[in-house]
Order: sequence, then C-alpha cells, then structure tokens
Amino acid sequence: MIRHKVLALTGAGALAVALAACGSSNSSGSGDNTTSGTGSPWILGTTDTVTALDPAGSYDLGSSTLEYNLYQTLVTVPPNSTQIEGDAAKSCTYNNPKTLTCTLNPGEKFSNGDPLTSSDVKYSFERAIKIQDANGAAIYLLGSITTTAKDGTVTLNKGAIETPDDQTVVFHLDHPDTTFQYVLTYPGAAAIVDEDVFPADKKLPDDQIIGSGPYELSQYKAGEQAVLELNPNYSGPNQGKTGQVFVKYYTEPSALKLAVQNGEIDVAWRSLAPTDVAALKKDSNVTVATGKGSEIRYWVWNVGSGVGKQLAVRQAAAQVIDREAIAKDAYDNTVDPLYSIVPPGYGGQKDSFKEAYGAPNPGKAKQILQAAGISTPVNITVGWTPTHYGPSTEDEANELQRQLEASGLFKVSLKSTEWEQYQTIYKQGAYDLWILGWFPDYPDADDYLSPFMVDGGFFQNGYKNQQVDKLVAQEQGTSDQAKRQQIFGQLQDIAAKDVPFIPSWVGQNTAVYGKGMTGVESTLDPSFIFRFWLVTKNG
Amino acid sequence: MSRAGSGSLPRYILQRILLVIPMIWVILTLVFFILRVAPGDPVSAALGGKLNAQALEQRREALGFNRPLIAQYWDYLSSVIHLDFGTTFSDNQPVLHVIRDNGGATLTLTVAAFLIALLVGIPLGLLAGRYRDSSPDALIRLFGILSYAAPVFFVGFLLQFYVAEPLGLPTSGDASPITIFTVPTKTHILLVDAFLSGNTDAIEDVTKHLVLPAVTLGLVICGVFIRLVRVNLLQTMQADYVEAAEARGLKQRNVTWRHAFRNAMVPVITVIGLQFALLLGGAILTEQTFNWPGIGQKLVFYINNRDYGAVQGIVTFFAIAVVLISLLVDIVNALIDPRVRY
Repeated sequence: MIRHKVLALTGAGALAVALAACGSSNSSGSGDNTTSGTGSPWILGTTDTVTALDPAGSYDLGSSTLEYNLYQTLVTVPPNSTQIEGDAAKSCTYNNPKTLTCTLNPGEKFSNGDPLTSSDVKYSFERAIKIQDANGAAIYLLGSITTTAKDGTVTLNKGAIETPDDQTVVFHLDHPDTTFQYVLTYPGAAAIVDEDVFPADKKLPDDQIIGSGPYELSQYKAGEQAVLELNPNYSGPNQGKTGQVFVKYYTEPSALKLAVQNGEIDVAWRSLAPTDVAALKKDSNVTVATGKGSEIRYWVWNVGSGVGKQLAVRQAAAQVIDREAIAKDAYDNTVDPLYSIVPPGYGGQKDSFKEAYGAPNPGKAKQILQAAGISTPVNITVGWTPTHYGPSTEDEANELQRQLEASGLFKVSLKSTEWEQYQTIYKQGAYDLWILGWFPDYPDADDYLSPFMVDGGFFQNGYKNQQVDKLVAQEQGTSDQAKRQQIFGQLQDIAAKDVPFIPSWVGQNTAVYGKGMTGVESTLDPSFIFRFWLVTKNG
Repeated sequence: MSRAGSGSLPRYILQRILLVIPMIWVILTLVFFILRVAPGDPVSAALGGKLNAQALEQRREALGFNRPLIAQYWDYLSSVIHLDFGTTFSDNQPVLHVIRDNGGATLTLTVAAFLIALLVGIPLGLLAGRYRDSSPDALIRLFGILSYAAPVFFVGFLLQFYVAEPLGLPTSGDASPITIFTVPTKTHILLVDAFLSGNTDAIEDVTKHLVLPAVTLGLVICGVFIRLVRVNLLQTMQADYVEAAEARGLKQRNVTWRHAFRNAMVPVITVIGLQFALLLGGAILTEQTFNWPGIGQKLVFYINNRDYGAVQGIVTFFAIAVVLISLLVDIVNALIDPRVRY
C-alpha cells in the first residue's frame, strides 16, 4: 500500500534526538485522585458505530472512542496538544534512527489484576498482525515493523519487537521512521491487551474485553449501549471523576438532537447535522461547545486525464473557490475554511492556498486560463456522494458549482452516486473533480500529506512529483521537529502550486451538553479523543 | 355443503411445513445474488475512504470475496444448513446473536403496535359499518385513510416533537441506559425481562419508551383494519341469514353483534394475520425514527455496510417468520370456519 511504499523510499537522515516522554507527573490528563469517581453517572450519545472492541479488529472512530478509555497504549496524546507523552510507558526513546525503546511504568495492571508487562505489549502487536483482520488498523499502520507480501499478507518482521525484561520493549524498525511513535498512540494499532485473556489467533468477543485504561467495560450491547466503570486497578494519571459512564448509540442525528434537548442524554457528540447544531445554539437548556477539529473535506482533481490534467485549470478553480461561502451557506458556519490540506493546530501547518491565491478572484482566474491558452468555459464533471459524508455534501457541491459557474469560466456538470459505487468509479476516472473526507490516524501533519501526495495518494488521482516523494521520505526519516515542520511547509506550498486537490473545510469538534456537566470543553481537540475521565456530572 | 375428511388439515399442515424449506432456499438464493450484484462490498464500505485500490483488493482476496460466486454460494448454503450464519463484518457480532438480541425488540414493538391497531381499528370499523353513511362513518373512514396514507416516519416525528414532551415520554430507544444495565437478560425481550425482574421503575421505564413507537406503527396499521372490518360487516349485514334474523324481530344490536360481526371477522382474521407479518417490515422505518434497537434497524445498518452474512441471516429470519405466521393464519382459518378445507 501507499504508506508502505513511501516508507521504502528511505532517506538517510540520522535520528539523533531522543524522545523523552513525561511519565505520570504530567498535568494534562490528571484528575484529582482524592475526588475520583465522585461525580454522578452521565450519558454520552453518539451516531458513531463500533466495529470491534478488540483492537485487532478496529480502525474506526466509534471503536477508538471506547478503546482510548478502556486500554492503554505505550504513548498517548494529551488534550489540546500534538506532543505525545507516556501512557503505559514512562518514556519511549529513539536510541538510533531505527530503534525505539519504551520503558513501562512499574506496577501497571489490567482491570482483572494481571500485571502489565513487556510480554503483553509484544503479544498485542503479534496477535493483531497474525489475526490479519481486514478491519484492524495494525496491518495498515505498522509498516515499519511488518512486511506485506504481494497477496497482501502482512507478517511481523523477525526480531522487530524485543523484550529484554518485563519493563522494556524495543522496536527495531526496518527503516528510519519518526511517525512510528505517533502510530503507537492509536489504540487500533497499538493498544495493550492481556496475553492471558485475548486469544492469539482470533478476536475476543466485544463484551469480554478487558484493558488497563482508566475504565473497564461493564456492559456492551452492540449498536445500543456500552457501560464503562472505573478500573480499580488503574494507577495512571487519568483518574476518572465519574464512576459510571453510559454510551448510547443512535442511528439518526435527529434522534440524537431530540435526546439531548429532552435531557435523555447528557452529552451529544458526533454527529449532529449543521442545522441541528444551529438550532441547539438557541436552546437555553443545552450548551454547544466547540473545539478545534481535524476532520477535513477536500476536492480531488483527476490529474491523470481530462481537464484536470491541465495545471492552469486546477489553479484557476483554486483561485475562484470561496471557502467562507461554503462554510456559511452549506454548513451554517459549523465548519471552518481550510487553506491547506493540513488543518490548523498541527506543527508545520501553513495556509499555503491562502498565500498562493488570496481572496477568491475570478479576474485572476481568467488570466491564468488565458495565459495557458485555455478557452472558457471549461467543462468539468464534479462528483459527490449523498451517503457517507452527510446531507450537507449536496449543499457544498451545489455551492461549488454556483461559484465556479458564476465566475463565467467553468461549466459544471454535477454527478452523484452512492458511496459504495462512488469510491470505485472515482478511481476509474468518472469525475474531473470529486469530494472526499479525511480523518487522521495519528496527530502528525505527515498523516495529511503522505497519504495524499505520494504516488497519486490513496485516491489514485495520477499526481506524481519526485520532489514530494523525497521530501516525505526526509521528514519521515528525521525526528528533528524543526526540520520536519520546515519540510511540511514546503510540501504544503507544492500542493498549493500543483493543486492536486483543493482543501475545503475543517470540521469543528462539537459537543452539546446539558446542565450540570463539566469538563466537556477540555476534551474537544483535534485528536477527537473523547476522554471520559475529564468529564463529570454534578448532582 | 360437503365436508372433507378429517385428516386433510394435518396433511395440509405437513405439506406447508415441508414447503417452507424450498421457500427459504429461494429467498436465500435471491438475497445472496442481489447483494453481490449491487455495487460495493463489505471491504470497500468499511475501508474505501482510507486504502488504495490495491490494498482493498488484497483484503477482498483474503476474505474470499473474489472467489467464484458459485463457490461462495455453496459455502454459504453449507453453513446455513448447520445454522452457522457467521459473524457480522461491520460490527463483529454473531449473526444469530443479532437476531436473538434485536429480534426481541422488534417482536415487542410489532405485538404492541398490533394490539393498538386491533383495539382502535376493529371497534372503529364496527362503528363505521354499523352507522353506515352517517357522520361517524365519514369521520372514521377519513381517519382510517389518513392514518394509512401518512408515512410512518412522519407520524413518528410529529409524536416526538409535539406529544413526547407534554406527556413526559422519551423520544427514542427502548429503555433508559440505566434500565438496560440493571435488568438481567433472560428472555432477550426487555419488557418481559423487566416484568420478571419485578423492578417497577424498569417496568415503567420500558413501558413509557414503548408508547410512542407502538402508537406510531399501530396507527398506520389500524387504518387497514378500519376499512377491512367496515367492508366485511356491510357485506355480512346483507346476507340472507341476517335478514332472516331481523325478520324474526331480533334487536338490531343482537343482529349486529351476535350474527353479523362474528361472521364478518372470519376473512378479517386472515388479513390481520398477514398484516402482522407485514408489520415486521413496517417496523424498520419506525425503528429508524425512534432509534428502536430492533432487527429492522440492524438490517438497514448492515445493508448500508454491504454486510453480506448479516443481511442474509436476517432476511432468512424474516422469511421464516412470515412463512410461519401465514401458516398459522391458515390453520386458524381452517379451525374457525368449517367450510375452509385444503
């Protein structure tokens, strides 16, 4: 796959900087131990779905929302930060460019009292890869310690994980890869499971899982609800303030909205429609809280054929598009305009498209086309899907069409199809320009650049740029953050110049909560980790 | 009038039961091939937004979705014979557990809706027939048409927005999270389990949650019953024996209730039974509207995720349920009407 290919283009940078992670003394996630568990039970409502609670079988937000609270990973992301810190590990250090050593916190236990040792860590990775579940993140994200055969079979590299003692785990990467430490924060790829409970060759039923996180699973009814209670054997800094958390699952955003309005749930998080959020802002019984988000929408050009092959056409469209109008008219300002494929909040982010094109200007766009000798209007086929991304996608597609045609430079033919067919035919060149969304796997700008710009991206739009390939390999091969951020800036500038895609908006991390709730705002950040331990209900 | 031999009904029942097997096989086969002809597959539904085409194809290969259709079909039939419907791809649940855990919720909803439809539809149908062409008849017929024609999700929305809050009723789900957590699971039918637990708060909570969805679905069906009962009553009232009863000086109320009504209900029972079977399908929209954790809601989820095994298993369950209910209706018909023989 793409990520594996990129990692194979190894740069020769030396990883000299050790990553020191704070241990249990950090303040970002700590609760007051003396008051842990004193808050009233509260209910979170969501339309997310859970694929599996066994990490070996999950790669989706619904599953990871529970997994972040039930399991530990070696390192994690504190609230409102992209700097990772220790979780089950006290520290993770790069000894050399291809060796990462993690030292576990002493005395960690699973919720059943079993001690958490390096053997459990190694076992967790081994079984996730052995199980080869198509829904599991491990076989897609652990490219630095695995090998993928031609038929897609993923195997753990021999000697990739070493456990010299109970407290130490050593990862031997097959090439320098600074993003590997970020992958270790994602539970779908790196959650630590009890080797005495989880079978080696198949997934554990969801209602039987145990972990070492702040909470343990007390009840799970698929598609209906999950009940989490404080893990009495958890000794980390993220002590929960509430003894019991209910997670209730909804299929329709309208039902979720009604539930939070009527007080049937305490917090509604993901995903309310923009019109629902706008209506809830006027309701005095609830509070609409927003934080920075990381979910993006972007329009992808077919660079390999058709009108998208012409750089001037792509640049002209980028010059015309009015993101603020899209955010306002299609989404009621529940999203923010996005001027780079990397959303704000990530180190190295810059608004390259704003720098390159400034405000929407049809006159400048016309000059771009005239200079390239392209006659207008340019006929383009724009694709979108009514399923998968929500009903507002239609509004966005219509608004984009209006903007492009209002410039007098484009004639847009809008086409839509259901998601299942959409993702097949856009790869077959059915559209000149089509909309996609993205949710990061880990909190690093690389996750917005390498999957999109190398070798046509996962969406295979035909974009190829050797300079991009080299830059990506360089930033992945060094842990010098200043250097990486500089490279990120260069990549974003190239994206703005070559326009293989046009970023549209970044979603806000929005939650709606009723009276008596505190701490909700503190967990609304670009990581989209809903940290139950930070939230409490009074009375 | 001649009567057939007394052994014909048992033979008929046996024949119908044996016919269930090929009927289920046909449905299974249709669903299997329709799902595979439709665009998409479980892998692209789950991972299409993250992986490139090559990686997706590798996953399909590993899961056997690229094998010849006939090979997949044969494997599937073999597993069904062993009652092994496998595990769902999209949410990692044994299919039989999905049917067991969510089937109870759908059964509760359909039975409650059915009872409401009967309790409202039959008396109103009787009244309309009894007072034919009067104002009550016109109003009842209008009510029947409106309730039948109104989309069920629209009725549901109206009740959620305008009735729930004033009456203090919940707008979604089959119970509060605390009730679901505290009531021990015995029958996988939450209402029954609540009663078995003796927890009065839980009983009240579950009952309150049932009101709006059951009324929504029941109102839609009662329109059918109103019309059906009215028409059959009118026809029966024109029969010779009714005229004879009237000629003998019997009171009108006795003529209607003791003679006309009972005979008018015979064909109604047949349709009522079939409506119950159709309710299972109608419950899907109600479950979506009220976030009711029934099997219809799950079916929509699995169809959207192209979860082949789950859809096949649930459709099989629906098919068996409908077939068995229609068989039951035939048996009841034969028992109450001696003229009916097969």
